Amino acid sequence: MSNDILVLAEHDGQAVSDITFELLGAARRLASGSGGQVAVALVGGAGLTGTLGAASTVYVVDGTSGAIYSPEVFEKAFLGVLKEADPRLVLTGTSTMGIDVAGALSVAWPAPVVSYVVGLEAEGTELVATSQIYGGKLMAEVAIGGPHAICAVIAGSFPADAGRSDGTPEVREVAVAGLDSARTTPRGVHEPDTSGVDIAAAEVLVSVGRGIGGKENLEVVQELADALGAPLAASRPITDQGWLPKPQQVGKSGKKVKPRAYLAFGISGAPEHLEGMRDAELIIACNTDPNAPIFDVAHYGTTADLFDLAPELAEKLGS
Amino acid sequence: MVLRIAIGGAVVLIGLALGGARLWWLARLIRSGSPAPGRTKGALRRSWAELAEVLGQRKLLRRRQSGIPHALTFWGFIILLFTVIEAFGDVFSSKRFAIPGIGHSPVLGFLEDLFAVVVLLAVISFVVIRLVDSPARRERRSRFYGSHTGAAWVTLTLIALVMITLLGYRAAQTNTGDFPYGSWAFASHAIGGWLAPLGRGTNSVIETTLLLCNVAVIMGFLVFVTYSKHLHIFLAPMNVGLSRRPRALGALEVTDGGSGARTIEQLSWKHLLDFATCTECGRCQAACPAWNTNKPLSPKLLVMGLRDHLFTSAPRLLAAGHGASRGSALTSSNGASSAEGKVVGQSRGSSDAPAAPALVPDVISPDVIWACTTCGACVEQCPVDIEHVDTIVDIRRGLVNDGKMEASVQQVLENIAQQGNSFGKSGRMRARWVRELGFPVKDARKEPVRYLWFVGDFASFDERILELSRTLAHVLHDADVDFGLLYEGERNAGNDVRRIGEEGLFEMLVEHNMSTLNGAQFESIFTTDPHSLNTLRNEYPAYGLDKPVLHYSQLLQELLESTAITVKPLGTRVTYHDPCYLARHNRITEAPRKVLHALGCELVEMPRHGLNTFCCGAGGGRIWMSDDPALGERPSENRIREAVALGVDTFVVACPKDFAMYSDAVKTTGHEPDLRVVDLVELVATALETATLAAVSGS
Amino acid sequence: MRILVLMRQLPDLVEELEISSEGTDIDRELVKFVMNEFDDQALEEALLLKESSGAEVVVVALDEPDVDQALYTAIAKGADRAVKLTGVSNERWMSTHERAAILAPYVEESAADLVLTGVQAADDLDGQLAGVLAGLLGLPHAAVVVGVELKDSTVLVTQELGGGRSVDEEIDLPAVLGLQAARQAPRYAPISKIRQVTQAGGIEEVAAHTPPEASATAISLRRLYVPERSGHAEMLEGTPGEVAERIAEILRSRGLVKG
Ligand SMILES: Cc1cc2nc3c(=O)[nH]c(=O)nc-3n(C[C@H](O)[C@H](O)[C@H](O)COP(=O)(O)OP(=O)(O)OC[C@H]3O[C@@H](n4cnc5c(N)ncnc54)[C@H](O)[C@@H]3O)c2cc1C
Ligand code: SF4
Ligand code: SF4
Repeated sequence: MSNDILVLAEHDGQAVSDITFELLGAARRLASGSGGQVAVALVGGAGLTGTLGAASTVYVVDGTSGAIYSPEVFEKAFLGVLKEADPRLVLTGTSTMGIDVAGALSVAWPAPVVSYVVGLEAEGTELVATSQIYGGKLMAEVAIGGPHAICAVIAGSFPADAGRSDGTPEVREVAVAGLDSARTTPRGVHEPDTSGVDIAAAEVLVSVGRGIGGKENLEVVQELADALGAPLAASRPITDQGWLPKPQQVGKSGKKVKPRAYLAFGISGAPEHLEGMRDAELIIACNTDPNAPIFDVAHYGTTADLFDLAPELAEKLGS
Repeated sequence: MVLRIAIGGAVVLIGLALGGARLWWLARLIRSGSPAPGRTKGALRRSWAELAEVLGQRKLLRRRQSGIPHALTFWGFIILLFTVIEAFGDVFSSKRFAIPGIGHSPVLGFLEDLFAVVVLLAVISFVVIRLVDSPARRERRSRFYGSHTGAAWVTLTLIALVMITLLGYRAAQTNTGDFPYGSWAFASHAIGGWLAPLGRGTNSVIETTLLLCNVAVIMGFLVFVTYSKHLHIFLAPMNVGLSRRPRALGALEVTDGGSGARTIEQLSWKHLLDFATCTECGRCQAACPAWNTNKPLSPKLLVMGLRDHLFTSAPRLLAAGHGASRGSALTSSNGASSAEGKVVGQSRGSSDAPAAPALVPDVISPDVIWACTTCGACVEQCPVDIEHVDTIVDIRRGLVNDGKMEASVQQVLENIAQQGNSFGKSGRMRARWVRELGFPVKDARKEPVRYLWFVGDFASFDERILELSRTLAHVLHDADVDFGLLYEGERNAGNDVRRIGEEGLFEMLVEHNMSTLNGAQFESIFTTDPHSLNTLRNEYPAYGLDKPVLHYSQLLQELLESTAITVKPLGTRVTYHDPCYLARHNRITEAPRKVLHALGCELVEMPRHGLNTFCCGAGGGRIWMSDDPALGERPSENRIREAVALGVDTFVVACPKDFAMYSDAVKTTGHEPDLRVVDLVELVATALETATLAAVSGS
Repeated sequence: MRILVLMRQLPDLVEELEISSEGTDIDRELVKFVMNEFDDQALEEALLLKESSGAEVVVVALDEPDVDQALYTAIAKGADRAVKLTGVSNERWMSTHERAAILAPYVEESAADLVLTGVQAADDLDGQLAGVLAGLLGLPHAAVVVGVELKDSTVLVTQELGGGRSVDEEIDLPAVLGLQAARQAPRYAPISKIRQVTQAGGIEEVAAHTPPEASATAISLRRLYVPERSGHAEMLEGTPGEVAERIAEILRSRGLVKG
């Protein structure tokens, strides 16, 4: 039994995804305590090893059709790496890839799998994973004692910066048989449709309410949204007036959203609005009224004037 | 003479044949509808309705301008029936025909002449009304928008012709010596005076010609009536006699277990009779909140559309024979019909009969059916007692049973089915608001109470309204009222669920609430919500509820009158919005006004108040549907503008949904600074505080 | 063509969840159970496939609290058959691996062409059903599926990859899919129809196979606890500049700031 930690990398052919760096950072922290090595399994995307300096070894599996994802091919390729690397712990995200491969690998390898992980700590020789279940209503503490385990980690649980470092890890090619005889044939990737804004799919939302005063003022929040790469969302009065299109409305008669961060500017927090956004992971509210109900659901709040705050924040984030 | 009898006889026979055939056809068509039970029960009430509504023209007279001429025309025609009989007598028997038993009383002669003139004047006022409120000019704002105005003009012309020929032949008779009436028949003699110089011979020709013309016009009118909207002359008395009494408001009619109407054959015969009876007068349309805020629904156009569809479907309906059973016609769209165990076209004679078009969307667009707030303004207004809301909800039932509805409505129904409340919150949280009261509230399931407070979803779960619920609780507590709640045993009462058309869910809710109510001890119920009040009061009795159901405004009135609570006058100028489900559906308009009076408020009424109140737009499940802002203002915004025009600064409501709707509407209309939306109980609480303060400072 | 829809019950998350005295499970006494929302999506997709291709839809569930209600609802919506696997204790949390082990033999015997289930469930702490089940059966699979189209012997699947990207792939049948969303929102089953169906009965009860012990894949749950939650926002004080700085920091620390 090794003490090594293997991170299953995700990428889109051009770049390695944030979640992979988050996992690498966590892996480094755990490995430094247990004395194991950190490795990465990379399927396709052979040109990306240079960004994976946080790992000491990168196992590269090729012979697949480039960057296109396929659950079956990735799962077989990862299994090939697992057999070769024999790590103690495998880390993946609770992303599509993570959901696809974690369960199947746990049967094939075999190893227990822990899902929805938001925390990982070493306790002597044991590892303890903390998971968020029942939609975040409860936390579960799971002990990882055996020789093998897989953890699927929720994105944003660990800082990505800790896993980001350029370098020249050892690259090991792993040949896996039978990848081309798969029963799953990729047929193409759809890139995001940028024509209309899909607020339900956005990671971060900058949302405006009646506090904005008029359509012409939207510019200030638009600049902030651009700085964050986030679309604008709104409370009903804003879409009612036609200041923003109806599909961008959040709430009872609009969309339910669950972004990783929701920045509310000049929104009072009427029940109809809260219904659509209270499940956001992080809510930051700006409202001049200290008693506005939005502060009951927000994690952070400020009574600053939105016209002062939004430009400042845009500037701070832009630089 | 022989010629006259021949021509007259031919005209009458042709007229009777044409008119009779049409009426026979109509009768068969209407009888092809589904059963509508209980339509003849309560003969006394029905006779009274005939007297008040038909003879007394009660509803028509509410709208003076057109009501008075209509009533005069109606009464005129009754009097003029005598002239018709006389005219027929004159044609077929001796010229001096007299109605047996009445003879040629001068009073009759006077009345006949009087009403001939009065009806002519009425026709002139109709012409003026139609020109002023012309749909060509006023478009949607005209109540005749979409009506068959051509037919109306023909009718007015025919009525005028009946009168002109009548007066003409009677005038000529004064010169030929055939006229049986003396100088009391003032108009005939006056016109006769002008005709006298033409000589006896000419007058005799005029007499015969106009007499025949009169009979011909009457017969023509008769035939025209049976083929046009003026059918109401025959059908209105029937429709009024067969309508729900005292009115088609309050409880909904549910026929055939609530399976709903997907095709015209599944609508009840009474509703088919409704369609045929509609006079296209547009009174319903003018009052409808949906139509007035640019929604696609007009109750009049809906009824007319269904009538046209009924008539074009006649070959199919008559071929099938009557009473095609409901639920047998269409497979539901989601392919689940097998589960219903119903067979397509089961009751049809031949298998190759044409398929019935779906009422929605083939005949009516779904937007029309879903735009209705079930406010009942149309039913209240309709002079011939058409039952729009029952028809609309029956069509909705068909849609809901096929799973066709807006996503937001589906979500709410699922919430209510799962959690028992529209908010989708845990049912156990229902009485959470009580915790912050600072005093315990009795659990009526565990100990007897005088009043059971049925709080309702909005007053239990909506953050803004919880405060109002607490205020009411404080007021009652301070007045030593013995009240209690059902706590988590209460579920949505189901009023809106039923009006959305989810009859099964409604029944489930009633069963649950009734089992809780049966386990509780109380003397009477009061509700915060007029919608809950409506179903508890009018629909739950069918499931065994036998306790009085009050609105909190009535309870407040009692407390103020019995001096259980004493207040200091507020002196505020306010206006009051009557909730549709309180005022129109349940006739409770006085209690809140008496409360306002007791509080020393000066009440300034909005033009639309009391039974004529204008809907806030929330009823019938509309509060859960999205409205397209492109269509223009919402009913609630329209209402706020009406109130602002009065120059008052306080808008009093007595319904939690109204509070939510109007608090929103003052903001969206930009009237937040100048109009305050308050609940009746807030005013009471303020007046109480004032009284307490006065008492404190006075001591 | 036979489509199996695997459904399961979950505690209604609208309710407060309490932790049992042992500390490793929720208190099941007070909880209300409802169908997993993603299984509802799987059912909807199956019904849409039935409508377009005439496939037979069979819903399958373990015997869990209030499962009959969910199965009858499925029939009311148009499922052809409903199967309840009985004889398994339903009074405790059950891992995904246990569920998969019970379901696998049934799925194998049923000769299904396509197996649909929800992408996840709120308590599948040890992985998601589609992947684990497919692993046991050796079948191809895909999760986070948002599009399904049946071909002769394959199924065309769209998987969402996040950030608005998605991928299409053609998978040989039989296959197991974890549905994120059906092509349209799950349909409504009117209560009167559910009641009618319930009265008619028609749930097939099948004795479940006892699963083999699979210690190699079992997790050891130490405890459950309620996360601390602030009832009110933490208020950021200071000048707009200072507040902006703090917010920027918070966003950065969560990796929400690009570049
Ligand atoms: C049936 C129904 C359905 C509804 N559906 C929805 C829905 O889907 N979505 C929705 O959003 N609403 C919905 N509403 C409307 C909802 O009730 C509220 O009216 C609405 O959400 C209020 O929007 P708001 O917070 O932008 O405006 P307001 O409530 O007017 O709040 C504006 C806020 O901005 C603050 N403010 C003002 N100036 C500044 C400034 N310079 N800087 C910072 N803060 C400032 C004020 O303090 C205030 O709190 C619905 C209402 C009903 C009745
Ligand atoms: S009930 Fe009200 S909304 Fe519905 S048609 Fe009649 S007037 Fe219009
Ligand atoms: S339904 Fe009644 S009120 Fe409406 S147009 Fe017809 S007769 Fe007039």
